[in-house]
Amino acid sequence: MAILVRLDDLLHERRITLTELSERVDITLANLSILKTGKARAIRFSTLEAICEVLQCQPGDLLEFAMDEAAGKAERDRRP
Amino acid sequence: MTSRYGTALSASGAALRVLIVLNLLLGLGIFALLAASLVAPEWTMAALGARVDLNPALLTGGRAIMLVGICSVPLAHIVLSRLLAMVETVRHGDPFVGENAVRLNRIAWALLGLEMLHLVAGIVSAAASTRTAPLGIDWSFSVTGWLAILLLFVLARVFAEGARMRDDLEGTV
Repeated sequence: MAILVRLDDLLHERRITLTELSERVDITLANLSILKTGKARAIRFSTLEAICEVLQCQPGDLLEFAMDEAAGKAERDRRP
Repeated sequence: MTSRYGTALSASGAALRVLIVLNLLLGLGIFALLAASLVAPEWTMAALGARVDLNPALLTGGRAIMLVGICSVPLAHIVLSRLLAMVETVRHGDPFVGENAVRLNRIAWALLGLEMLHLVAGIVSAAASTRTAPLGIDWSFSVTGWLAILLLFVLARVFAEGARMRDDLEGTV
């Protein structure tokens, strides 16, 4: 997916573990792991808001659009 | 309530398994009858109560109806086996999957085939019967079957869309 989740970097910078974040944002550890590993298909605004509030960051700090991957995917989709 | 629901599902699964076996046995029976009509036509048609002496077309008509019957066996098998697979997914608590949408679609196509064969049987019956010596097939046109096919095609599409939405929801954090 062309959207990269930078949760791991943010957790490292803030010195917070995933378990701690899970307790503070009230989202299961399993769901946060899915988000962290980039396996999530979508993210709710409420989840985004809760994470940004705890990590004191902007949505743009958590998510990144990878132009190269998007171009690669478009190329793959174009192939017959 | 849940246990009653589980019992109903188990009963449906068992009934479908029995119907699958009965369908295959019926196919074998019709095949044997067709073979008998080729080996001993007079005896077979007399046993079926068809007056071939009054109407010789009954023999060809009867064989054509048997052939229609044999063709309907694999189609009925598709309907029953796919339905059983769907019941099993409900029993395992995960019916909203893409495979079930495909199964519903196949059931709809198989039912369409069965309705077409039903029409063929009606045409053969009308062509072979005379007033004095009818083929004896109790045939009537039914709109319900065609409506059920239409409903199944629509439901298969709805199911596919529902399964896709559930997949999306499962990946939502």
